[in-house]
Amino acid sequence: MSLRIRAQLQRGAFNLLIDTALPTDGVTALFGRSGCGKTTLLRIIAGLERVRDAHVEFGDLCWQQDSHFVPTSARRIGLVFQEHSLLPHLSVKENLLYGYNRTPAELRRLHLEEVMQMLAIDSLQQQRIDQLSGGERQRISLGRALLTSPQLLLLDEPLSALDTQTKREIMPFLSRLALQAQVPIILITHSPDEVQRLANHVAFMAAGQITTVETLEQALARPDTPLFQDEGAAAILAGQLGPANEHGLRAFGSDQSRLWLQSPGNVTELPECGQSIRVRILARDVSVALDDPQRISMQNHLFVTIEHMHTIADQRVVLSLRLADGQLLLSEITNWSARRLELSPGQQVYALIKSVALIS
Amino acid sequence: MKHRALLSARLSLLLLGSFLLGTATAENFTIVAASDLRYALDEIVAAYIAEHPEHQPSVIYGSSGQFHAQISNGAPYDLYFSADIVYPQMLHEAGLTADEPAIYALGRIVLWSANRDASTLHLSDLVRDDIRRIAIAQPEHAPYGQRAQEALEATGIWSTVQPKLVFGENIAHAAQMAESGAADIGIIALSLALFPTMTAQGYHLIDADLHAPLTQAYVITRYGQGKPGVLDFSRYMESDTAHTIMQRYGFAMPE
Amino acid sequence: MLGLNPADWQAIEVTLKLCLYTTIFLLLIATPLAWWLSGKTSSLRVAIQAIVALPLVLPPTVLGFYLLMAMGPRGLLGSSLESIGLTHLAFSFEGILVASVLYSLPFAVQPLLESFNNLGRRPVEVASALGAGPVDRFFTVILPLCKGGYVIAATLTFAHTLGEFGVILMLGGSIPGETKVLSVLIYDYAQSMNYDAAHRLSLILLVFSFLVLFTVYGFSRRFQVVRV
Repeated sequence: MSLRIRAQLQRGAFNLLIDTALPTDGVTALFGRSGCGKTTLLRIIAGLERVRDAHVEFGDLCWQQDSHFVPTSARRIGLVFQEHSLLPHLSVKENLLYGYNRTPAELRRLHLEEVMQMLAIDSLQQQRIDQLSGGERQRISLGRALLTSPQLLLLDEPLSALDTQTKREIMPFLSRLALQAQVPIILITHSPDEVQRLANHVAFMAAGQITTVETLEQALARPDTPLFQDEGAAAILAGQLGPANEHGLRAFGSDQSRLWLQSPGNVTELPECGQSIRVRILARDVSVALDDPQRISMQNHLFVTIEHMHTIADQRVVLSLRLADGQLLLSEITNWSARRLELSPGQQVYALIKSVALIS
Repeated sequence: MKHRALLSARLSLLLLGSFLLGTATAENFTIVAASDLRYALDEIVAAYIAEHPEHQPSVIYGSSGQFHAQISNGAPYDLYFSADIVYPQMLHEAGLTADEPAIYALGRIVLWSANRDASTLHLSDLVRDDIRRIAIAQPEHAPYGQRAQEALEATGIWSTVQPKLVFGENIAHAAQMAESGAADIGIIALSLALFPTMTAQGYHLIDADLHAPLTQAYVITRYGQGKPGVLDFSRYMESDTAHTIMQRYGFAMPE
Repeated sequence: MLGLNPADWQAIEVTLKLCLYTTIFLLLIATPLAWWLSGKTSSLRVAIQAIVALPLVLPPTVLGFYLLMAMGPRGLLGSSLESIGLTHLAFSFEGILVASVLYSLPFAVQPLLESFNNLGRRPVEVASALGAGPVDRFFTVILPLCKGGYVIAATLTFAHTLGEFGVILMLGGSIPGETKVLSVLIYDYAQSMNYDAAHRLSLILLVFSFLVLFTVYGFSRRFQVVRV
């Protein structure tokens, strides 16, 4: 199943030209700079913007074609906007139930109690809208959208108006949502971090056009991907969390490529055993060695195969390293080091990992 | 058409005025006049200025009652032409005039219509169903309206036609209602029915016996007292030229 | 009561009826119009907005003159009504109602427009994504959030119609019980030097208008405080 969109729109100097199919399993991030047309595209998908001759098809449902146009209210989509958009004349509960009450009973899959629990908003029920924090408002917006049991969830930079602390609070809810709600999600964002944490697919957008649609793994395998523009190259590893050892370290990933994670203890507690999580390892936190060093403080050493060597700016090289379980790790070293160690593709080396960040 | 005639009259007055201002000591004074005099007085004033360029009268038209109220409250008008002698008489009694009111004409009322030939109609025809709206001036304060009411009462059809009546604020307003066709019939001043743009339609003169006479009088106000131009113009009203113009607009001169 | 005669009461009745009908019709017309005007700016919108505001600056005589021309039997509106067997609108209650609606248009549209501009499109978009259709959205989102705008639009329209004179004088024909409203009756009283009667009615109108405006300003202040 996919979301097919064909649209053309000329507005002043801005020209939107879209002919694409977006995957609708899991989270698809629509990634691009502000002004590239992401929001306009989202509004066309939602039916908030009626562009002439546009064609929008969701699975086998035709939402717009020629004179046929399904209004937003009949598309059964959940929309969450960037800034708070709660209806100010209604209470928290009335906001949550506004869409629920307008959803036919037989189509309701999610109910008030479970959604409030999922988003930890049960305690806010009696509060006035203007007493809520930005993060609370966004959680309620999310809950309200979920309670319509939407076929598609459209999130328009839902975190960008929040401060870093609040973002960190909401992120776990969003990733849980992606897993539990069983609703395809289109997430508009300009933040590589959000894509790395949440997305399964990425659609890159620039100057009114979608340039590439690929899986997150494919995107992260390209050292020149725009997703690395903030913090440099990084690898995202997915895996299950194991039990803690006697030193309080938690095992992560398969036996062949086991990592030991330290319980951070501060921000969020580590999830339970057996849960699927994502970790991020920045390429510059990964060194390579030709032998397995024993007398070294770093705990995480993995035996890997060099797949590619990609020269980037400043006399540096990014190495793509294949793990035993098939996932990809990146390492950023100097050109000089690469030459000194006489590294080449196909060679087997040890990756020494300095730091691992649990991202979801 | 009407407006253009008025405009050109005003314009020529203005041009003449500015020309004279530089040469002689022109005297300006203000005449206020009942709106049935609109066309007749314009002609008389133009003729007067041609003969006496040293004087510069300007005319304001409106309802007699309104001017009476304004003069009572100190309006700076020099000469007051009323459609009914009652108003100047009241001013005189209040000590607001320079002398006695002088009668200048007797007014007549007519039936006039924009969409049918009124000359074949009689007052009694006004009860007919095809005549839906009849415009008259407001009887409460417009002399022509009072006379129209009297004539309808004398004919015995006042109560029958009352639901058809629409009221203009003064006789020119009533005439305009009829002229636009929005009212089927107007009971208006003969002087207005004789104006070039309206005269083509013909009219029916209402028997003067059916209503009290419309004795029209003018008076020099206390404000206009002692102005040579004002006195001069009031004398001009007695001239043959003025009389001829007045008669042409259907004003019967008092015997 | 108040020393008023039957003619006074009749004029009061006509006036209140006119004000009430004008207010109802105008709110019905002004709602979609103001909503459309509150959309993205385009030169068409600017032009329509200017036309809507025209009665604010035009003398009532201009509107009265053109309406009499249009509504009379020779006018476009009047003649088409006549041709389908109806009567033209000059000198009728319906005629002055149409005139009042046009003449008070800016007084209904401006407060609503401002209210809608303050509201923005977001709450309505939110409601449609939550499955609310247009009518549902109007009653559950727009109306409660623009309540203040509606109260102001309604009272201003009512009050402005109350004070209408020139247009009604020109195309009403002062028919008692039909088109003779308070302002025209007061004018006639003053013209016929019946100052006592003019005074009585003027005072009533003055006090009533003050109360209406007092309500509007009181409400608009409260409204601004409440808005989040």
